[in-house]
Amino acid sequence: MPQEDKAEEPSVTFKARAGLPSDPKEMEVHAGEGDLKPWDLDDLPKFQQVGKPHTRIDGPLKVTGQAKYSYDVKLPGMLYGRMVGASIPAGVIVSIDTSKAEALPGVKAVWTAEAKKVRFAGQDVAAVAATSPEIAADAARLVEVQYEEKPFVHELRAAMEDGAPTVFAADEAPVGEDQTVRGNIAGPNKGGRGNVAAGFAQAAVTIEKTYYLPVHTHSPLETHGVVAHWEGDQLTVYASTQGVYAVREGLAEALEIDRKNVRVICQHMGGGFGSKLGPSATGSAVAMVACKLAKKAGAPVKLMLDRHQEQLCTGNAPSAQITVKIGAKKDGTLTAVEYTSYGSAGVAGGAGTAGPVRALYANNPNLKIEEYSVFTNAGPAAPLRAPGHSQGAFAVESAMDELAEKLGMDPLELRKKNESSPVRSAEYDPGAKAIGWERRNKKAGDTPGPKKRGIGMANGNWYVFANPNVKVQVKIHRDGSVELFSGAQDIGSGFRTMIAVVAAEELGIAPSDITSRVGDTQFPVGPASGGSITTNSVAPAVRLAANDAKKKLFEVAAKALDADPAELESEGGKVFVASDPSRSLTFKEAASRMPGEVIDCTAERKKQYETFRGDIAGTQFAEVEVDTETGEVRVLKMVSVNDCGFPVNTLTAKNQVIGAMIQGASWALLEDRIIDPMVGTMVNPDLEAYKILSPRDMFEAESILVPQANLGNNTSAAGIGEPPIVPTLGAIANAIYNATGARVRELPMTPDRVLAALAEAKGA
Amino acid sequence: MARKPPPDDGARAPGFSRRTFLKTAGAGAAVGTVVGNGAACTRKPTIIGPGAAPLTLRVNGASQTVTVEPRVTLLNALRNHLDLTGAKQVCDRGACGGCTVLLDGAPVKACMMLAADAEGHEITTVEGLGTPEKMSPLQEAFVEADALQCGFCTPGFVVSGTALLAKNPNPTLDEIKDGLAGNLCRCGTYSRIFEAVQKTAGRG
Repeated sequence: MPQEDKAEEPSVTFKARAGLPSDPKEMEVHAGEGDLKPWDLDDLPKFQQVGKPHTRIDGPLKVTGQAKYSYDVKLPGMLYGRMVGASIPAGVIVSIDTSKAEALPGVKAVWTAEAKKVRFAGQDVAAVAATSPEIAADAARLVEVQYEEKPFVHELRAAMEDGAPTVFAADEAPVGEDQTVRGNIAGPNKGGRGNVAAGFAQAAVTIEKTYYLPVHTHSPLETHGVVAHWEGDQLTVYASTQGVYAVREGLAEALEIDRKNVRVICQHMGGGFGSKLGPSATGSAVAMVACKLAKKAGAPVKLMLDRHQEQLCTGNAPSAQITVKIGAKKDGTLTAVEYTSYGSAGVAGGAGTAGPVRALYANNPNLKIEEYSVFTNAGPAAPLRAPGHSQGAFAVESAMDELAEKLGMDPLELRKKNESSPVRSAEYDPGAKAIGWERRNKKAGDTPGPKKRGIGMANGNWYVFANPNVKVQVKIHRDGSVELFSGAQDIGSGFRTMIAVVAAEELGIAPSDITSRVGDTQFPVGPASGGSITTNSVAPAVRLAANDAKKKLFEVAAKALDADPAELESEGGKVFVASDPSRSLTFKEAASRMPGEVIDCTAERKKQYETFRGDIAGTQFAEVEVDTETGEVRVLKMVSVNDCGFPVNTLTAKNQVIGAMIQGASWALLEDRIIDPMVGTMVNPDLEAYKILSPRDMFEAESILVPQANLGNNTSAAGIGEPPIVPTLGAIANAIYNATGARVRELPMTPDRVLAALAEAKGA
Repeated sequence: MARKPPPDDGARAPGFSRRTFLKTAGAGAAVGTVVGNGAACTRKPTIIGPGAAPLTLRVNGASQTVTVEPRVTLLNALRNHLDLTGAKQVCDRGACGGCTVLLDGAPVKACMMLAADAEGHEITTVEGLGTPEKMSPLQEAFVEADALQCGFCTPGFVVSGTALLAKNPNPTLDEIKDGLAGNLCRCGTYSRIFEAVQKTAGRG
């Protein structure tokens, strides 16, 4: 995640009222020269557009089926591609015979992989392009591949065993030079502070438990893929991506062509959740292959992965086995935390999970962290919505709950006692009130009957990331119509609408008066949408560009109103003299007086300011019902309390929060990538055996946003995509414990695991 | 699923469809055993395919001819041959509802049906329910409630919700969940979708 510092940029100093409305703090921030004073607590009550609910601009297109996703693009003469994936998990490709496929009428181009080593089932082997998807499917079946099979290892715990087949030879493993590799285990990454041995010696109570999470897949509904179209040396790619600029960079490098010759477009995107940040996918070069097929065939090629390949090669969230040891004094004050994590990102590294243990309860003086990545013969992981954090928070927050039980303390009181964030401190009570925390079982499982209800909670954390290398263009046309241009893409977050709201606030018009044009490398550079970075990166550039355009408009209007431009303000579609609002022009009248055709302003995001908080807090509560006879868990209600600076559009922001709880509940209760230990391929590469939460499983979900002037940028706004999924798994596990007295330490919390935990609890 | 029986296919003589074949052969009989064995056959079966053959589909109130191989699904015929891309292929096996369209008013999964089998039926896609300028009440309610994020599942939910409300104008929350149980959303917009359906029912 880019967080490049522009610290060298000359600064201007602003004083602002920062933090929570209930507890304002005077703060001095150093903004880049030419930047604006950040919207702060004084601006909060004055906002006309920011912080209000706005329906999304592209909603009508999406609900009528008119929104064109990359998958919907159809060009004249377009061919349909199909990828062929390896059918074995480990071995060597001896030969690929495409002659039968090539001979099939309608087949126009064939591609074969250069790599000969197979390390996971599904790895790219060959691809075809044909005049119809049906013929392409036939051709794919005619590709004959001979393999020399090798032993494989399918799963984290098996890969850690002595004598397990190794995925990589020691010198081939994708690890940093400072890391050692033993068998399939790479690491550790070490971290921490203080002295845990001394800390545990001070503890009155200590718990140590191990938790396990399986691999989850992203399962976006639109699979990975592109439509590639060459016109001479100009390449246009319609990509299902979270970063059009990243696709351009990756394809230009892979194809060894100039970036200026590559245009990447993504108008609407059917879900990515972190798996669509690169040029293709982590485990498939699908976009590059499409470009090669198109070049070869001399025709545009649409190559979308099928659902099976999507599940195998486009990324997943690493599995994890995490041991947490916590020591505390009798009053609950933490004295030491020891955290050891093994995770598998398949054939990739980067299975770390320690983000939450680093960030939560930072007052604890003694912390020791060891994180290991374990290789398995499975598709490489990709960032999945707060990568590593939902896993880490599940372990830490389950352990905190177990500690509370042992201390005989209310789990919420234990969190409050050790809280280090003033923002999360302000989030506990609204959440507790909304869920009815006082209704929880004082003694876990202490309710009559086989169906037991319980309430639990857990915390999460995230960060305020920024990419300052972002530009935005605003055009006010002579007829008063307004356009916004950003190369960043709307991945479903409501980005189009968010930037229109910011520009509308600055220009004094309505978001519906603005047309947002996004998702195109012909537009000013925007960030890849990952890490909840987009709002913080783009919103301040929008405000700056809109402010520049407004100043130019005021110059025009000032002449007509016989005033000084500095005396003017704009609000409600009018430009007026602040001291005498009767002296006014409508926005359109003002625009009609401009000397040329258009006021056209492009602004670059300035450096990140000091923030009130450099982290994002968040806490979550869940109420569940457990059928102790069948082991079935139903979530009844969840409440998420979150902060993202000033939320720009509360309608779409809350939608993301609620969506995170739903996706998190799905991970907690249902999702499990199962790889067959005998053949090493995924048993459930689909959407019926890889179950995700359905309408029938739905619960009441409530989002509470706590606005705070976080400063950091001139809008005080930050992203909310990831933070609310971090606590969900732990909140549900802790609610199950409160309902039943049974602790489920392995996900997904399916009936068999719940029944086993109930039996264990009964035995104990 | 309440689906109207297919109309008599006489109009399409001398062509032959898979549907007529099944009807004359007796639905449910194993095809392999019936071919050429037709004591029950009143007409001599004609084989279409394996090459492309013309089909006439009634889509959103208009008749359209497509020339497709008999194996082409209704979904691929709509998307690749009639440029109606609202319905999406997501799971390609009837598990997610992303391709839901109405067949004589009843929701069907267009990835699970051959285009040839849809001949003679009224097909309604999400595009037939409303336009961005003139949305249906349910479509408007989806926008108002922000019952979508990435929007890829949205056409399927709008179609399923439309079918639900046509059958049951005042559904309870549980009936809404049941009516939409065949559709999946990955972004997690279910509660907003329920709200949109409830709002529309309340206005009805």
